[in-house]
Amino acid sequence: MKIAAEKLITDLIESTRENINQVEKFKEYSDEALNYKEDASSWSVLECIEHLNLYGDYYLPEMEKNIVDSKHKANTIFKSGILGNYFANQMLPKEGMKKMQAPKDKNPMGSQLEKSVIDRFEKQQHKTLELLDKARHVSLTKTKTAISISKLIKLRLGDTFRFVIYHNQRHLAQAEKVTANL
Amino acid sequence: MEHAHLLIQRIEDDKLWEKQLTISRNEYIKVSGSVNTNLYFVVSGSLRIFVFDENEEHTIRFGYKNNIITSLDSFISEKPSELYIQAIKKSEVKVISKKSVKKLMASSNELQQNWNEILEQLILQQMNREQDLLTSSPTERYKRVLQRSPQLFQEIPNKYIASYLRMTPETLSRMKKS
Repeated sequence: MKIAAEKLITDLIESTRENINQVEKFKEYSDEALNYKEDASSWSVLECIEHLNLYGDYYLPEMEKNIVDSKHKANTIFKSGILGNYFANQMLPKEGMKKMQAPKDKNPMGSQLEKSVIDRFEKQQHKTLELLDKARHVSLTKTKTAISISKLIKLRLGDTFRFVIYHNQRHLAQAEKVTANL
Repeated sequence: MEHAHLLIQRIEDDKLWEKQLTISRNEYIKVSGSVNTNLYFVVSGSLRIFVFDENEEHTIRFGYKNNIITSLDSFISEKPSELYIQAIKKSEVKVISKKSVKKLMASSNELQQNWNEILEQLILQQMNREQDLLTSSPTERYKRVLQRSPQLFQEIPNKYIASYLRMTPETLSRMKKS
């Protein structure tokens, strides 16, 4: 896809604002509610958010490093890469979205989870906002980041942001469904 | 912002508010990096404006009942601003865009004059604030704010006032007691 770089950044900032507001709502729930699991294989609200934190742990420093080191000046247009666009679109929450297997190191189940998981997520969103602003000064197309499962596969920075932020939306929508059933 | 009542009254009378929002506690109406050229009029509740510096939040302004709150830098420049605007408690706000405000200004000399008065008052407030920040004694900083905005201490929780005064909540509590 092709989009004005500033429009992409503005849209992603707005999505991040919505994600922060979503977790602020979760903060009002009890620890019990946040740890509630519908069945053994479903994730609780905190597990959904911790899963996102694990991705943020990898992607935020990776994006920051590549933004800071980028030799590619800002361009007014962002053009998606084929792979990046595919990954990003896969992440969008949709009607009847299928359960995807999380990679083992990104599976939050079995870890002890507290409300501090939400604070950690919020910190990551503030970092994301900082990076989105910094990214206004580099090319979203030519600046690349490696993906978490292979250093050899690189995505365009604009697609990486989309992937990470849509992924956040996806699991927050999942967490929202859990609270709807409380 | 006492001078704003004329503007607000006119917006009310002409029904120019573009929407009314209910904002939950801790909800953000603006985050860092976005452009926001709206004016928000606080019907009820309270909000704060803050920035992040080295992972620490610094509250720089408050808005409570009958105040206007806005990301003034973005409002003026129409460029991205680092400011966050967040509800401290559940709040009701009315919203008007810069475009509508400017159009209203253009329609009346009296309102244009009123707008200038509002801006002048804002400049004075900024200068006061600059002096706050250059005041090294925490007690003096507390006294300055207590004197010019006593209502602040009724409307806003201690921890945010402490951040605004650049001290810990414990220091502020001690100061209020003595």
